[in-house]
Amino acid sequence: MPTPQFFDAALTESLALFFLALGDDELLLGHRDSEWCGHAPILEEDIAFANLALDEIGHATYWYELYAGLVNENPEQIADHLVFERPWKAWRNIQIVELPRGDWAFSVLRQYLFDSAEVIRLEALARSSYVPLAGVAGKIRKEELYHLRHSRAWIQRLGLGTQESQSRLQNALQSLWPYTNQMWQSVPGEDRLMEAGLLPGSQALQTIWLEQTSAFLRECALTIPSTPPLILNRTQHTTHLKTLIAEMHSVFKLDPQAQW
Amino acid sequence: MDTQWPRFQVFVQSKSGAPYMDVGSVHAPDAELALLNARDVFARRPESISMWVVPVEAILWKTSQELRQDAEFTGDAHTIQPENTANQPYHIFCKFKQAGTHEFVTTVETASASAALRQAYQSLLHRQNALSWCIIPDQAVTKSDPNEVDSLYAPALDKTFRMSTDFRTVSAMRAIKSTPNENE
Repeated sequence: MPTPQFFDAALTESLALFFLALGDDELLLGHRDSEWCGHAPILEEDIAFANLALDEIGHATYWYELYAGLVNENPEQIADHLVFERPWKAWRNIQIVELPRGDWAFSVLRQYLFDSAEVIRLEALARSSYVPLAGVAGKIRKEELYHLRHSRAWIQRLGLGTQESQSRLQNALQSLWPYTNQMWQSVPGEDRLMEAGLLPGSQALQTIWLEQTSAFLRECALTIPSTPPLILNRTQHTTHLKTLIAEMHSVFKLDPQAQW
Repeated sequence: MDTQWPRFQVFVQSKSGAPYMDVGSVHAPDAELALLNARDVFARRPESISMWVVPVEAILWKTSQELRQDAEFTGDAHTIQPENTANQPYHIFCKFKQAGTHEFVTTVETASASAALRQAYQSLLHRQNALSWCIIPDQAVTKSDPNEVDSLYAPALDKTFRMSTDFRTVSAMRAIKSTPNENE
C-alpha cells in the first residue's frame, strides 16, 4: 500500500512504530493465551481460550501488514520475519502481555483489561483519516466485542463467585493494575499523528477506560488498587520476554529455511 | 461429588431460513456462558448465524420405537417443567437419518411436552420417516442476540478453515510411520 503523499519521514516512522507496537502486543498476548491450550479449567473453555489466542495472533498479522506498508517490506513475509527472526530486545510490546500466564484468574483478568482497552481504542481508530488503518480497526473491533463479552462474563463469575475465586481475582488485579498505565502510553511522535487526524489521543481514551473499567470491576466485588502506575516505555522489557522469545524461536531456528 | 457443570444442548442455524440443527452439547455454569462456549466449540467454521442453548433436563427425547410401544405417549413427565395447564410454545425437532441429527420441524402450543409431541406426531406428514424426536419448551431456550451476528459469527467468514488433511504434516507422518524402522 503506497505511503500517502502528505506523510513526511518522521510521521511515517511514528505511525510505523505505532503499528509495530500494537502488533507486538497482540502477538504476545495471543502467545500467552495459547499456553492455556490443554490446561484450561474445563474443555469448553480450553477451546474458547485457544480460539481467542488464534484471534489475537491473527490481529497481530493485520498490524504487521500495515507496518510493512510503511517500511516497504513484503507484507506476506513480514509477520514471520518480525516474530521468528527478531531478537527479544527489539520487541515493542507493553510489559503486561509478556508476564507469565499465572493462574486462571490472572490470565482472564489480563485478557479483560486488554480487551476493554482495545475496544475503546479500536472504536477511535476506526475513524482515522488513514483509510487502511480505519479498515483494519473496524475489522478487528467486531471480534474484540466478542472477546470482551467473554472476558467480562468470566470476571463477573469469578468476582461474584466463591471466596477463593474472588481473592484470586483480587490478587491478580493487585499485580496487573500498575501495568495497565502502559497501555495508554504515547508512542514517540504521537502528538503529530493526532494533529494529522491519524490517531486519537491516548490520554482522553485512558480517562474513558479508567472510568468504565473501575466501575465494572467494583460491580464484580473488586477493589481498585491504590498502587502507583508504572511508567514504562516500549523499549523496556522483563526477562520473561527473553524466555518467551527463546522458546518461540526454538523450533524455527532448527531449520529457518523449512517450508510450512 | 459431581463437580461437572450442567450440560446444555446446542442448536445452530446455518443461514436465514434454514432449520435449526442439533449440533451437540457444551458444559457451562449458566446459559450465557453456554452460549459463549457454544460459539467457540461449534461456530468457528462459517456456518452459523444464530444459536440456541437449552439445559438438557428441559428436553424431552423420544425414539419413534418408544412412541410405537406407547400409543398414548403418556410416558416421561418432564423433570423441570412445572405442571402448567396454560398453553406454551414447544419446538419439535426430528431426526430422519440414522447418521443425521435432529432438525427443527415445527412449533406447537400445548400444555405439556408430551402433549406437544402427541400433536406433532399426529399432524406431521412424514412422521413415518422420523427416527427420533426432541421436544423443547421455548421458555427454556436461550437465544443468541441477532444484533451480535457481527461479533459472534461474522469474523469466522474471514478465516481460512483447513481440514487436518490440508496440512502436509499428516501425510508426511503417515509416510514416516509406514516406513520400516531400520534400527529395529
